Amino acid sequence: MKQLGWFLLLLGTVLAGDRAGGYVLQQQVAQSQFRYARLYGGEAAADILLVGNSRGLIFYEPYIEEKSGLKTFNLSYNGLPMDAARALAEDYLDSYPAPRLMLIELTTCDRTNDALLAGFLTFSGQSARLDALIREKSVENWRTGQLSALYRYNNELFQRALFHRKKTDKDWLLDREIDPDLAAKVLENNYPLEVHPYLLEQLQALVAYAQKKGVAVKLVISPYFPQFMVTHLDDLKAEATRLTGLPVYDYRDKLSDPALFGDFMHLNKAGAVEYLNLLRADGVLP
Amino acid sequence: MIFNSLVFLVFVLCFFSVYFFLKGRLRLGWILVASYVFYGWWDWRFLALIIFTTLMDYLFGIYLEDTHAPRQKKQVIIASVVMNLGFLSIFKYFNFFAASAAAALQYVGMEASWTTLHIILPVGISFYTFQSMSYTIEIYRGEMKAERDLLKYATFVGFWPQLMAGPIVRAKDLLPQFHVERPFEWDRFYSGMGRVLWGFFKKCAIADSLGPFADQCFQAPETFGSLHLLIGVVFYSFQIYCDFSGYSDIAIGMARIMGYRFPENFRSPYFSSSFSEFWTRWHISLSSWLRDYLYIPLGGNRHGVFMTYRNNMITMLLGGLWHGANWAFVFWGFLHGLYLILQRFVAPRWAWVVRALRLPLFVDKGVAIAVVYSLTLLAWVYFRAGSMGAHSFTTANAVLSGIFSGRHFAWWAVVNKFQVLKGFLLIGLLYGVELSNAWVNWNVVQVHRPALRLAAFAVLLWLIAFFGTFGANAFIYFQF
Repeated sequence: MKQLGWFLLLLGTVLAGDRAGGYVLQQQVAQSQFRYARLYGGEAAADILLVGNSRGLIFYEPYIEEKSGLKTFNLSYNGLPMDAARALAEDYLDSYPAPRLMLIELTTCDRTNDALLAGFLTFSGQSARLDALIREKSVENWRTGQLSALYRYNNELFQRALFHRKKTDKDWLLDREIDPDLAAKVLENNYPLEVHPYLLEQLQALVAYAQKKGVAVKLVISPYFPQFMVTHLDDLKAEATRLTGLPVYDYRDKLSDPALFGDFMHLNKAGAVEYLNLLRADGVLP
Repeated sequence: MIFNSLVFLVFVLCFFSVYFFLKGRLRLGWILVASYVFYGWWDWRFLALIIFTTLMDYLFGIYLEDTHAPRQKKQVIIASVVMNLGFLSIFKYFNFFAASAAAALQYVGMEASWTTLHIILPVGISFYTFQSMSYTIEIYRGEMKAERDLLKYATFVGFWPQLMAGPIVRAKDLLPQFHVERPFEWDRFYSGMGRVLWGFFKKCAIADSLGPFADQCFQAPETFGSLHLLIGVVFYSFQIYCDFSGYSDIAIGMARIMGYRFPENFRSPYFSSSFSEFWTRWHISLSSWLRDYLYIPLGGNRHGVFMTYRNNMITMLLGGLWHGANWAFVFWGFLHGLYLILQRFVAPRWAWVVRALRLPLFVDKGVAIAVVYSLTLLAWVYFRAGSMGAHSFTTANAVLSGIFSGRHFAWWAVVNKFQVLKGFLLIGLLYGVELSNAWVNWNVVQVHRPALRLAAFAVLLWLIAFFGTFGANAFIYFQF
């Protein structure tokens, strides 16, 4: 009987501590300046909504705001797949006044990332869409998150939220120059882009949802390192246009100075500024 | 079946819900059935192999004991060793030796067109083969009596907690335990549970969190800077330690709950201040096996300096080969053999420096621990690359040249900084607990202090939930 009491006490302690810990961590997230904390904290109202994966981080917010005088909000994240991007963007559109423009980096439709989805457990309590998506795509993580509140904070998104607790992440951008040795091997490298019907359907649905809310949507492909081979990019472009009826602004080979790149796939800060100037000159960005 | 999976949780619940209600041979039978289910879950076809090995060594053991003619005894023990090593060679090394021989012939201008076979490596074969061999060797040496009860012997070979990845428990240590009834005891249960939880923390929270960062470094070393690669190698050293010792902790804990005692397999190896000490702290069951059944029979250190070095090197080379069919593993063994030899030169000179400069103990030990860890790290690079097939040496050399180039040895050039911070936090936690072992006997705390036990178990469960990676990642040593 004594042992049974001890076990019940252990169970109670574990559960109570888990819930209490989860509550404390949620409070930390709520105070964070991290993008998704701001999104669900009611502090993300903007004129331009930016959506993308790591290549979407190239939409360097301070520069766009400086040049356009408009407020921006960037939903991009490393490896963010279009299904998660859709959930986040639709949550945004439901919570805030419609922005003037939604700019989407098209390669967000490249591949699914169910491992990253589990990271959104940190925010799934505030988003029915994220909760349903994680439940559908990563059910074991979803169940573990139901069992343990602490587990919902066992991910990089939470760590970033802590890191940005007192400082903004609006200037988050890869800022380094590509290593010359690596740059010299550009022809030996390539990126096999995947064309996912599922993710393209997610894009189609997001575009339709945004347009219904009166938001202008533009699709872009950001620059790649000169001569870097990305396969199936034209297929992706054609499919996106077919499904959404929108043109794709293709900047894949518009910048040729290697010093503007951090690696084969990403511009650095100087490159981002050049790229944003091109977008402004072409009227893609105001 | 792997410990960090849902299937295993169901297995354990089913196993223990019956286990403590059984006694005597019924209980042993239950362990044996459970062990074969545990093993067969991976691939039931290989059950035939483990059963055949068990039966043969069981018969060899009885024959060895019943035979008094030394010549016949020798023939029997040779037959046992040949059978055991034969299976190991076929399943683990056939393709490796065939490919190596073909490459050697090609090097001297001869063409060889041996075909390689598609052979699946049975999980745990290296472990249960060595365990089974220790049984016949010890009977041959007259150090133990043959087990006449086939059920007990089969349970010894197939005992599920250590079947897949050790510890390699000697027959003379485990078999006698099957002769005594093991009633349920709360003390053993708590002590075992604590050990199991600690093992899961090491595997799920530490090893599996560090693994992806280390993997990335070895998959594309040329894309990362020097500091990033160095961190990757440091992470790998803790990944493999926590992965393997985590498995051992779970195995030891499970056996303890069942009432059996396994020897320790790890004792904070990265606190070693010499390589000979390292091998008394790392994979102790294998290193002591190699010492007793290879190094000492070769002559050990009894026949002069040169023979000692030779024996050291042979033991370490074969120890390397035991880990896998790749020359990089052999080279890892070679490096450790070399370290053991060099240590005999360097240690006396370092002791002289310490005396001459009157260095305090913490400096003496600190330098020694840092040197041993750094050289161990260097060897781990080849070990990690050993599982990368034909590109192992190219990969290992690329990682090392990346580190020593000093290119981008800067924090800004480190990718995935959050993984790095998490990794070092976890390593810090591990070190904290290992250092605390000097002052706190955690086993006594778990058994005799219910409040502290409750706190320790709860904290471990919270840490596993908060830091754990639950992808049912297999244990590294399964491949060996």
